[in-house]
Amino acid sequence: MSPRFSYKSAFRSAWTAVLLAAFLTAILSSPAFADETASVAGMVALPKAPPAPVMVRRYEIVSSRGVLAPFPPLAVIYLEGPFPRPPTPAVASMAQKDLAFDPALLPIQAGTRVEFPNLDNTYHNIFSFSPTKRFDLGRYRSDERPIPSETFEVPGLVTLRCDIHEHMRALILVLDTPHFVLSDPSGHYRLKGLPPGRHVLKAWIDSRTTLSQTVTLNDGAEAAADFP
Amino acid sequence: MSAEPKAAGNGFGAFRIRVLLAMMLLVSAVAGGGLWFAQRNAADEARGEFQREFSAALASTRSVREVRHALLAERARALARRPRIHAALEDGAPELLYPSAHDELADVLGGADAGMAGLPYALHARFYRFLDAHGAVIPPPVPLHAGSAEAGTPDTGMLGAEEESRLALPGLPEEPQIGYLPRGGAADGGLDEVIAMPIVSSENGDRIAAIVLGFRPAEFAGAEDIHSGIWAAGRLHLTSLSSRGQELLSAEMDRETARPGHPEGSFTTQADGAPELLFFTRLNPGSRFPPAYQVSLFPLANLRAHQQRLLWQFGGAAAVLLVAAFGASHLLAGRLSRPVERLAADSEEHRSGRVRAEAALETTSRELARSARFSADASHQLKTPVTVLRAGLEEMLAVRDLQPEQREEIASLIHQTFRLASIIDDLLLLSRMDAGRLRLNLVGVNLSDLIAGWLDDLGALPDGHALDIKTDYPAALPVLGEARYTTLILQNLLENARKYNRVGGNIRVTARHEGDWITVAIGNTGRPIPPSSREHIFERFHRGNAGEDVPGHGLGLNLARELARLHGGDLRLVRSEGDWTEFELSLRSAEAQSAVLKVQEA
Repeated sequence: MSPRFSYKSAFRSAWTAVLLAAFLTAILSSPAFADETASVAGMVALPKAPPAPVMVRRYEIVSSRGVLAPFPPLAVIYLEGPFPRPPTPAVASMAQKDLAFDPALLPIQAGTRVEFPNLDNTYHNIFSFSPTKRFDLGRYRSDERPIPSETFEVPGLVTLRCDIHEHMRALILVLDTPHFVLSDPSGHYRLKGLPPGRHVLKAWIDSRTTLSQTVTLNDGAEAAADFP
Repeated sequence: MSAEPKAAGNGFGAFRIRVLLAMMLLVSAVAGGGLWFAQRNAADEARGEFQREFSAALASTRSVREVRHALLAERARALARRPRIHAALEDGAPELLYPSAHDELADVLGGADAGMAGLPYALHARFYRFLDAHGAVIPPPVPLHAGSAEAGTPDTGMLGAEEESRLALPGLPEEPQIGYLPRGGAADGGLDEVIAMPIVSSENGDRIAAIVLGFRPAEFAGAEDIHSGIWAAGRLHLTSLSSRGQELLSAEMDRETARPGHPEGSFTTQADGAPELLFFTRLNPGSRFPPAYQVSLFPLANLRAHQQRLLWQFGGAAAVLLVAAFGASHLLAGRLSRPVERLAADSEEHRSGRVRAEAALETTSRELARSARFSADASHQLKTPVTVLRAGLEEMLAVRDLQPEQREEIASLIHQTFRLASIIDDLLLLSRMDAGRLRLNLVGVNLSDLIAGWLDDLGALPDGHALDIKTDYPAALPVLGEARYTTLILQNLLENARKYNRVGGNIRVTARHEGDWITVAIGNTGRPIPPSSREHIFERFHRGNAGEDVPGHGLGLNLARELARLHGGDLRLVRSEGDWTEFELSLRSAEAQSAVLKVQEA
C-alpha cells in the first residue's frame, strides 16, 4: 500500500474521532452552537514544489533559508479562535517510522496530548528546544510502555528533533481552535462543522507564512474561500 | 778548467731536483685533487644521508600530525552536527547550548584527566567553547560554585579570561582551523592545541556558530635524537631544553619566521651549547589562529664528528700518498735523470774534445796560411832581385876585356841565378797550391809528345853520365792535364832520374793504358833511397842522402806529387832497392773523361 493512503486513512480516522468528540462536547455545553453545520471549502495556492523523486512519498519537514516547511508543500487551514477546549484532552499521535516522523506536520488544538510511538527497530530520542514547548523524551525503543507523550498547552510552533538521527525533524502546530484541516497536496481543502458567522480563516503554509481572510459562514451552506 | 765540471755537477743536481719537484707537484696536485673530490663527495654523501634521515623523521612526524589533525577535525565535525547543539542554536534556546553540548561531549571530555593523561596521542579535549556568528566567544554559563577566578565550569573546562579571549576568530571560517594557544602566564604554562569547527545551520546553510575544542598538544616521539617542540606566540615549548635555551631559540625563530611566504625552513643554531640543525614547519598553514610552528632539533654533533673523522681519514690517506709519491718521484727522477746526466757528461767530453780539435785546427790553418803567405811573399820578393842580379851579370859578361876565368865565373853565376829563379818559381807554384789558388784547366794532353820533347832536350844537354835511355810507350797517351803543369811533373821525374843516376846507368820510361788511367813508370839505376828516407822523399826540402854534388833543392818530388794530385792522379815510389829506383805516375785518361767533360761543359 502506498504511504499516502495509509497516512490519509490514519489521519482521517484519528481526526474524525477527535472532531466528533469535540462536536458532541460543544453541542452539549453550548446551546448557541447547537447546529454547527456550516462549512468552508476552497483552494490554497501552495508553493511550487520542485519535482520530487518518486521514492519520496511521505512528508518531511525541510528547511530552506531559515524557513521550516513540509515537503511536499501542504497547508493547515484553520478558523481563528479562541474556541473553548474540550472537557477531556484530545489525544493525537506522531509516530517515528522508517527514521522519520509520521506525520511530519501535526496541527493540534492546545491542550492535546500527543503520543510518540517508536515504530522502528532502533532507539529514538525525541526532544524539542522550542520555547513553545521544551521537552526531552529520552531514548526509548518501540516496546516502551506507556507510549511517551507530551501535552501541548501553549499555542505556537514546536520543532521536534531526534537526538540520535540528526536529519529527523517534525513540526507540531498548536492552535487555539478545534477547527482545522490539512489541505491535500494540490492545496484543496474542505473544513466542515463550523459555526456560522464572520470568522477569520487562516492558512499556515510554513513557519513564516500564514495567510488569512475573513469569511462569512451561513448555516448549512458551504462558503468558498481561496488563498491566492 | 776545474770550475766547469763542478758547475756541470750543480746543473745535474738542479736538473734532478727540478724533475723531482715537477713530479711531486704533479702527483700532489693529482692526489690532492682526487682526495679533495673524494672527501667532498663523502661529505656530501654524509650530509645527504643525514638530510634523508632527518627528512624521513620529519615526514613521519608530519604524517602522524596530519592524521591527528584529521582525527581532531572529525571529532569536531561530528560534534558540530549534533541535533541538540543545532536545536539550541536554531530553535531559540541559547541557554541550553553549553548544557546540551556537555552531554554530547561527555565522551570527549572528562576522561582526559583520568588515566588518559599519560597518553601522548590522547584525543580527549581539555575544554570547549562556542563562537557566535561573528567569531566572538559565547561565554559559558556562570559557574555554579562562586569564587572561582576562572571562567567556565568543570564541564566546559576552565579557562582564564585572557585564554578564553584568544579563542575568538575574526569571523567564522569555512574549514576547521587549527591553532596553538599558550596557556596561562607562566613560562611552563604549556600549550593548547585547539580546533575551531564551523557549525552550519541545517535550516539555511549559513555558518551560525563554531565549536572550539582544546586538546593537549601531542608530543611525538620521533627518532631518538630528534627533539621536537612547538613555537607559538613568540614562545618556544620544547621541554628537552633549558628555559634559557628556549628563550634564545625563540628569538631566532622570531627572526626566521618574520620573513613571509615561508611555511618552513631550517637553520643551524646552538641549543644549550650544542650545535643543532633546527627545522621548522608551519603547523597550521592558512589558519586564522596565530601561526604556530613545529620546531625539530637534530643534533649536528654526530654529523660533525663523522665529517671530522672523514677529514682525518682523508688527511691521513693524503699524507701516506704524498710520502709514497715522494719516494716514487725520487726514484723515478733519479732513473730519468741518469741517462740525461750521462748524455750531458758525454756531450761535455765531446764538446771539450771538439774545442781542442777546433783550436788545433785553427792553429794549423793559421800556420798554414802564414807559411803559404810567407812562401808567396818570399818568392815575389826574391824574384825581382834575382832578375836584377842576372841582368847585372849578363852586362858584366858583355864587357869585352874580361879574362876567360872571369867570364866562366860570371857564366857560372848566371847559371846559379837560373837555378835560383827556378826554385823561386817552384816555391811560388807550391804556395799557390797551398793557398788553393791554383786551378788547372784540364784538357786532353798527349803525354807521349811531352816525353819525346824532354828526351830531345836531354840529348842536347851536355852530360857526363853516358846514360842509356829506353822507352816503351804508345804514340798516343792522351791524359787530362794542363800542358804546362803536366810537363812540369814529367820534367821533375825525368830530371831526377838523370840526376840521381850513376855513370853508365840507364833510364827506362814506359807508359800504358790501365782502364781509365794512364800509368807512366820512370825508373833509373843508381843508389836506392834508403828505407828510412822513403817516407820523407815527398816532403819539401827533403833531399835524402843525395850528395852535395847532386844539384837540386828538394822541392821537385813534392811539387810533382802535388801537381799529380791536382790532376786527379797520383805519384808513388814503386820501388827503390838494389840498383833501381822506380816512380809511377798515374793520370786520368782523356779518352775516358772526354765524354764526361763535354757533358760537364755543356
